[in-house]
Amino acid sequence: MEYPFFHVSFAPNVKLVSTVRRFTAEFYERVLVDQEVSEKVALATHELLENAVAYSVDGETGVRIEVVEDLLTIKTWNRATPDRVQALKAVIDQMNEEKDADKYYQNMLEKTAYRTDGSGLGLARIRAEADMRISYAIETDRVCIEATTSLNRPLHGRKGAQ
Amino acid sequence: MTIEVPKLSGSVISADATSEESIVRARFSGTADLEAKDDLQLFVSKLHPESVRISAKEVIVDFRELEFMNSSCFKIFVNWLAQVRDLDASKQYKILILSNPTQHLWQRRSLAALACFAVDLVKIEST
Repeated sequence: MEYPFFHVSFAPNVKLVSTVRRFTAEFYERVLVDQEVSEKVALATHELLENAVAYSVDGETGVRIEVVEDLLTIKTWNRATPDRVQALKAVIDQMNEEKDADKYYQNMLEKTAYRTDGSGLGLARIRAEADMRISYAIETDRVCIEATTSLNRPLHGRKGAQ
Repeated sequence: MTIEVPKLSGSVISADATSEESIVRARFSGTADLEAKDDLQLFVSKLHPESVRISAKEVIVDFRELEFMNSSCFKIFVNWLAQVRDLDASKQYKILILSNPTQHLWQRRSLAALACFAVDLVKIEST
């Protein structure tokens, strides 16, 4: 059985991230017939893509969103410096050690409130606000971040969306 | 005294602020993403001291026309709330956020998180 997905890759460009977010929201609202889930997917896609674009060291970043059975997964990838790769691993490992996503998010808000550098909130926000699990796969300098959530109800309009 | 904050007319975001007596109204529309971040930072960094200068009792933040906010821009508002929270109680002002979570669903969770961050200062009103 085929499931709805899309996959796009592009030269890193922050202006395109909002374009992809809007497309994602519309695509998954049509596929899932669930505005709440589609907005969460759009939020997570935006945050992941902005990270991928910001830290990409070569000419390509990409996103793939797929639904298999009742699991929706967003994957973004890019190539990054070794320092960035290590930092990202540490952030995700530390975040996943705290099982309470909302508690971790509120702690991050407190920590970031007086910081002047990057927000560091994106992944915590995805986990808490979009109810998604975050994981990573790293091959040398290629970073793939995955955000996954369970769908509460079966897909609708699957054929029409492909 | 009236508030003096230059209007923001960026490529993806707009904002303006007005005041009447001790109430400040700040309206935001468009998209608060990386492209908007620097403009938004500048706007909010002027909004806060101006609100203190005119001894504002309340700042009404209108997000009803704000399509989206990324985490970098969200942090700008967290920074702002932290600054208000750190003021002497006599100088603090309340923040009322007007939202439209029916049209912009992200606002429900994100603004609830903001309210939790400064629970004594922030109120959310949905339309």
